[in-house]
Amino acid sequence: MYFKKECIAMLLAGGQGSRLYDLTQQTAKPAVSYGGKYKIIDFPLSNCINSGIDTVGVLTQYQPLALNEYIGNGEPWDLDRMRGGLSVLPPYQGNKSSDWYKGTANAIYQNIRFIKQYNPDYVLILSGDHIYRMDYAKMLDQHKKTGAACTVATITVPIEEASRFGICNTREDGSIYEFEEKPKKPKNNQASMGIYIFSTKILIDYLESDEKDETSSNDFGKNIIPNLLNNGEKLFSFPFEGYWKDVGTIASLWESNMDLLGDHPPLNLSDRNFRIYSRNSARPPQFVGTNAKIANSRISEGCRIYGNVENSVLSGGVIVEEGAIVKDSVIMEDVIVRRDAKVYTSIIDSDSIIGESCVVGKDGADKNNITIVAKGTNMSRSTM
Amino acid sequence: MNAAGIIFSNLNQDTISELTTDRTLAAIPFGCRYRFVDFCLSNLINVNISNICIVANYNYRSLIDHIGSGKDWDMARRTGGIQMIAPFQTSHTSDSKLNCTHLEALCNMKDYILEFKEDYVIIMDADQVVNIDLSAVVDSHEATGADITMVTTKIREDFSSRNRRIMAKTENGKITRILTSKTYTDRAPEMCINTFVMRTPYLVNLLNSAEDKNLTSLTDHLLNTYEHANYFTYCYDGYVASITDFQEYYQASMELTSSDEAKESLLWRKDAPIYTKVHNSAPTMYSADAVVRDSMIADDCVIEGTVINSILSRNVRVAKGAVVKNSVLYWGTTVGKGASLNCVVTDKDVYITDGVSLSGNKNLPIYIEKKRKV
Repeated sequence: MYFKKECIAMLLAGGQGSRLYDLTQQTAKPAVSYGGKYKIIDFPLSNCINSGIDTVGVLTQYQPLALNEYIGNGEPWDLDRMRGGLSVLPPYQGNKSSDWYKGTANAIYQNIRFIKQYNPDYVLILSGDHIYRMDYAKMLDQHKKTGAACTVATITVPIEEASRFGICNTREDGSIYEFEEKPKKPKNNQASMGIYIFSTKILIDYLESDEKDETSSNDFGKNIIPNLLNNGEKLFSFPFEGYWKDVGTIASLWESNMDLLGDHPPLNLSDRNFRIYSRNSARPPQFVGTNAKIANSRISEGCRIYGNVENSVLSGGVIVEEGAIVKDSVIMEDVIVRRDAKVYTSIIDSDSIIGESCVVGKDGADKNNITIVAKGTNMSRSTM
Repeated sequence: MNAAGIIFSNLNQDTISELTTDRTLAAIPFGCRYRFVDFCLSNLINVNISNICIVANYNYRSLIDHIGSGKDWDMARRTGGIQMIAPFQTSHTSDSKLNCTHLEALCNMKDYILEFKEDYVIIMDADQVVNIDLSAVVDSHEATGADITMVTTKIREDFSSRNRRIMAKTENGKITRILTSKTYTDRAPEMCINTFVMRTPYLVNLLNSAEDKNLTSLTDHLLNTYEHANYFTYCYDGYVASITDFQEYYQASMELTSSDEAKESLLWRKDAPIYTKVHNSAPTMYSADAVVRDSMIADDCVIEGTVINSILSRNVRVAKGAVVKNSVLYWGTTVGKGASLNCVVTDKDVYITDGVSLSGNKNLPIYIEKKRKV
């Protein structure tokens, strides 16, 4: 027996994240580390619990091992509940067919039974590859007030980047009259954030008819939203103001980490009324040694710093030995930077060792020339 | 492991009055992000002990808040877990039984101890900060066939404390002498770190006879009986911070900044992590002008000034131009612009106004109480 929920969330976490190259060889994109102590998926999950949504289906597909282990039963986000809570929804075999998730819409379609268990009035569709803090309850309020079939969260992007996004063209009252997926000539700069609230019946109807259409690529942005508009359904945009970043590329992942630095970082991680939760790994406090120098950096639990760290974000358990330099870089869990090694403008994935006097990356390189060191790399001067 | 753990949260707390006005001794913060009790709990958990009692008698609100369901120690269990034992009145007991001594508290919880399915009981006090493999202690207890095994540490000849400690002399591990002393004595060169192992039936017998003879002090019982009993020590050779007053507390905190042995032994053991309540705070921010040396720092701090030889808890702010030296700052402490602290311990949410300068001495550190604005 399941209890009715007003709104449940479906979190698309199956993305391969192929533009993150080595960082997603063995890990699904939502389980990629961010900001010292987080994984990307901490943001949508924390947003859910901070918005009063306690039932979340997490759809996994690509390399789910690290992701599944990380989310577990949802306890770090208070999503281990007697009624609802977090459920991992991998693709499965049925007696008629078995399918991998073909697209975002198909993934939800294959889990219509999960949705129906809770008989929700609304379904919130999220993706697992954005860094942002958002109160979905406000979006739901607007959805209810406007009586929309679907509400699309939008964000203002620089007009020159608008052609990379799904662009919502709206009337004055916020209703959407046109949705263009990656338009060559965008008419405005209101980009879809890939966050939708649907009234449940409409969602299920459209998913079922989309599934019957063999020409469809079963994607929300390409198929479902345009179909709703073509049929004259009421769509509204929900303009979001605040920090939001798609971290689907090496450059944007690096940039988003750098956004945590400076005197007034645009993303506040210390708001006690809107915490970002993450799985904790019982590490000791960080220790800063005698000759260390740390400037404009974020350092996490378990780090031991004896060298120089500048403009960088260090995850838990990183050791920077004496004479080593880490600059403009993102260092993930348990990396060791040995004596006199130098790391410039790089992302070093977890458990790697940068050997004595090794040099990684180029000082002053720009965001399009970030050096990546894959998980578990053991680098010594002789292997360079 | 086949043992139950009983942690005493505040038997010796009167001697650290500064830090225990608002909290029980077990809840005293130590090492940036921990409280004393975390070390006891983690020692037990790291050898798979899942039946743990914490005996409290007063001022235990912050301890209960810290422990919660025990989830952060993986102790939210259907079977076992962490049980808080607080004193209570019934129609047939007088109000004097406030768990003021080991034996009184243990007698009060005797019915509960009778239900223990574990063969051994480990009794520990929260003021001994140590990261010790308790399975080795129990193995030694079994091997020697002791009635009681007391964990000790060898003390230096220059040792002296303001409070009496239990000291022992042994021959091949067997105790030949027990006495109490404030300083080193060659008559008894091992100091008890208030951790005891015994078989559960032995403890029950001990409690029965304590009730008959109206005994309340475990120390007195040991002193009176050792000559005819089979007591052994397990002499631990790792780092121990044995903290019985404010000065010892300050010294142990400073050792964390200066001694690698203290850090390696207490906090940096990969096979034996210390667990504590999780607060989901953000990584610490070091600004462009920060100067930090020989310091241990928790999450969610913002450091714009200078921090040397200090311990900073969660959510501490050190503003531009501020200098913090040889100090211990509890969570929520703010050090204003240009302020300077030397040899100061600030309790929770202390606010040091811009430009204020406070300096204690290594032998007489200044303590600033909770929420005080200076």
